[in-house]
Amino acid sequence: MNYEKLKDAEKMLKEANKLTKLSFARWSADWAEATPLYEQAGLAFKLAKETAKAKEAFEKAAMGQERLLSPWQAAKHMEAAGGLAKELGNWTEVADFYKRACELYAESGKPQPGADALARGARALEDAVPDEAVRLYLDSCAILEEEDKEQLAFDTYRAATNLYLKLQRCMWLWSRFEDAANMLLRWGLAADKCKAIQSQCKAYLSAIITYLYAQDLKQAEQCHVDCTQIDVFLQSEQNACAEKLLQAYREADPEEIKYVVSKSSTIQHLDHMIIRLAKQLPTGDMKAIASASGNIQDNELDVNNCIC
Amino acid sequence: MTVISILTRLDTLCKKYEKYDLEKQGGAQDSSNDAFLKLYKLMESDIEAALQKSSDASIEKNRAAVATLNAEVRRAKASMRNEISHLQKLAHKKVKGVTKEELAARPDIVLGLVGKIEAIPEGTIMGIKPKGGKPPAIPFEIKMDGVNPEDLIHPEQYQDTEESKGFREVVQKKKGKQDEGLEVISEGLETLKNMAQDINEELSRQVPLVEEIDSKVDKAALDLGNTNIRLKDTITKLRSSRNFCIDIVLMCVVLGIAGYLYK
Repeated sequence: MNYEKLKDAEKMLKEANKLTKLSFARWSADWAEATPLYEQAGLAFKLAKETAKAKEAFEKAAMGQERLLSPWQAAKHMEAAGGLAKELGNWTEVADFYKRACELYAESGKPQPGADALARGARALEDAVPDEAVRLYLDSCAILEEEDKEQLAFDTYRAATNLYLKLQRCMWLWSRFEDAANMLLRWGLAADKCKAIQSQCKAYLSAIITYLYAQDLKQAEQCHVDCTQIDVFLQSEQNACAEKLLQAYREADPEEIKYVVSKSSTIQHLDHMIIRLAKQLPTGDMKAIASASGNIQDNELDVNNCIC
Repeated sequence: MTVISILTRLDTLCKKYEKYDLEKQGGAQDSSNDAFLKLYKLMESDIEAALQKSSDASIEKNRAAVATLNAEVRRAKASMRNEISHLQKLAHKKVKGVTKEELAARPDIVLGLVGKIEAIPEGTIMGIKPKGGKPPAIPFEIKMDGVNPEDLIHPEQYQDTEESKGFREVVQKKKGKQDEGLEVISEGLETLKNMAQDINEELSRQVPLVEEIDSKVDKAALDLGNTNIRLKDTITKLRSSRNFCIDIVLMCVVLGIAGYLYK
């Protein structure tokens, strides 16, 4: 029976190709007839696990729907094609398909599914081409922010942050921590716009922990100072926890840090990636970290004294 | 005739003929002059009430109710003890209409009253069953009343004995266990709080989506309704009787032509 279905699918594909191919006898392609044939062929190939042919069929179906001025359907077919391209391992095609799907969704007047499509594409590319995945995540967040739908972006922010931290683990690039922390601060900003106080405070605390894990006490403290300008964070228990942690770091007391992390219920309710980071604190040489931040402060004071 | 109506009628009758009630009149006259008798009668009624409460407490099964009743009895006894001194003063006053023998008998009456008060059972804690391993029952009766003048005379009652030290240790241990339990509860509550806040945010995220769904579904329902009406109109037009007749007539014509051709 599968073989028969496959044959039917091939027939449909051929028929549809004939309808769309321009030749001497045919001056314009008959997309109205061809598009449903392409869709059916694509489904049949997908069921029969003929991924390449299914992908081709869905691509053509999407093109057809576009010509028929139905961008929504076209976008859906593009996404399907993207999923199939992922199975085939054509990463560039995956990215292109999902981006095109997003554009088509925007054309049909629905940018939010477009952002979702980008997020799905990014998830598909996470393992293979993480940089591209990150770019797609950022684009998705940007679209949602433009549409004032920041609340829906939370999941995307979380996914992007987790990706950065995963990358750091695999490639051991310190810059990834900064990127992750930046992403968390952007998340906090989005939460602030939609008054999601809990998420906002959690995001800020996560950012401070990320900086501390990266052994950058100065950045962590600056981040903390910036965040305390926000009233909501100042009064939250996440701020209390952050202060205790930073105090322990200033005193270069690893036992105190471990105690704060283990006793604090606030940290236990953050994202699991952040909890993992927090449990590994303190990283590196405590005295070096404390003195590094202290020295920088002393230098600043000297400069001020000179000027005075 | 119900009992209640009988009682009300009785009350009204009594009130009407109050002035003929010699006993009441006589008593009222006496008590207006004699403060001792007044106070004595009051204290007797208080003793009656306290006895009633303590008998209720002995029957009562609910421990909380028993404790409350006992506490009330003890409070009543303490206030009565305070009144006794006042009564003793009044007993020595000379009053009109009271004979010398009666006056001499009054202090004895007062002492009798004191005895009655002390005799009222107030449900002391002697009934605690000593459990294995715990120290024996509290050696001193816990006084819930005001300062007893006897306590001032015997301050040794408040010094530490071995028993009381042991009791204090037990209390400290129990407090420690309570603290542990409370810590567990507080951790659970914190988790609940965090979860509730997250749920709150998630729900506020879902609210605009659900509203959008709601409006879209309303619009779709409206469109469906319109489409249904139009469909109904179209079908009635198609199947109207006029068209039917025309169809039948034409079919007859065709059949006639076909029949003629075959012939």
